[in-house]
Amino acid sequence: MPTEDAPIELGRFAEPAVLVLVSLSDGPRHGYAIMTDVEQFSGQAMGPGTLYAVLARLERAGLVEAMPSDDRRRPYRLTAAGNAALADRLADMDRFVKTGRARLRAPDRGQA
Amino acid sequence: MTRPRRLHRLMLACYPRAWRERYGDELLAVLADRRSGWRDLPNLLAGALDARVHLRLRPVADGMLLAGPSLPDFPPPARMSAGPSADEPRYGVVASTPPVGEMSRRGFLRRMLGVGTAILSLEFAFGTVNFLWPQIREGLGAKFRVGTIADVLLAEPRFAQGWPYAYNPARTFLVNVPAAKELAVGNDVSLPDPAASDLLALWRKCPHLGCLVPAPCESITRYQCRCHQSTYNILGEKMFKGPAERGLDRFTVLIEDNGMIVIDTSQLTQGAPNRGREFLDFDDSHAWDATCGVE
Repeated sequence: MPTEDAPIELGRFAEPAVLVLVSLSDGPRHGYAIMTDVEQFSGQAMGPGTLYAVLARLERAGLVEAMPSDDRRRPYRLTAAGNAALADRLADMDRFVKTGRARLRAPDRGQA
Repeated sequence: MTRPRRLHRLMLACYPRAWRERYGDELLAVLADRRSGWRDLPNLLAGALDARVHLRLRPVADGMLLAGPSLPDFPPPARMSAGPSADEPRYGVVASTPPVGEMSRRGFLRRMLGVGTAILSLEFAFGTVNFLWPQIREGLGAKFRVGTIADVLLAEPRFAQGWPYAYNPARTFLVNVPAAKELAVGNDVSLPDPAASDLLALWRKCPHLGCLVPAPCESITRYQCRCHQSTYNILGEKMFKGPAERGLDRFTVLIEDNGMIVIDTSQLTQGAPNRGREFLDFDDSHAWDATCGVE
């Protein structure tokens, strides 16, 4: 099935995707648990439509996978690729934060 | 398992079928856990639109559903790609004809054109019907809100004694029937609280040739048409005098819960035909007054 090399476009879902990945990084969770967890640690409410748009993309990208479940509440977990992608992304954000901090501290700030 | 709420099923129905088969049950579980209501509607509609436009899921052999390839005109992925390494071509799979279950850009545009045409046609049809629909607010056919009994008594203080109230917007005599019967035979009563069944709304158009029937004079309690002297008793029944062949027509009257008297001029009852003196509801046996109605 030649679908695996499809590119992943997260687009406007990039930010919620990171939130979902972080939420899954300390263990599998089902949809509602992800929503409450995200809201708790980030302070941002995430709608169910957004959650499943993100989950569908992440699953398609192979970053998360659904676990078998006899309940309707299906848990998801990070894959190895998902772990790597999250670490990658967090490193990026870390660099971004460091750059921002450094510029904020710079003495010539405000002068173009 | 609780039965999914109607609203949840409605919102789920916006998603494409393949998407529902893969994620529907889970989403319903989430919505149930969340006690989701209307507040999630915009978010779910956006999600459904996204699923229809961007996430084309299709069934594969083992029954699971996988994502299909993306459309060829998407921008190359940014970071988080788990796809092949960067030097491999990313779009190699996508051919000019999309796979089964996939919608091409052209197909999508065509469908949107169809949808747009359908919406425009619906709007046009609705506008046309709405325009042609009768919207009677005045004149014959409208419902006239006369006021309460108190309002009528203010305008015609003798209404309680049985004098008809000439309500001009509906060209109607409003008659307090029990009091009017007493008045017509010379009794002085006061019945200031008639029920709806005690009220009569007589159309002032003479059934002979359509002249406006004037209000009764002081001297006699009959209606006398000035055009051809057709004469009616105070309940609108045709007396012997004059060429009209039936009594005054009447409209339906009702009193709403708040006491408002409503004359429904879309419901007309024809006056009774002439059948002779003994068939009259009552005979006031007044003499004809030649001075009445003469200016």
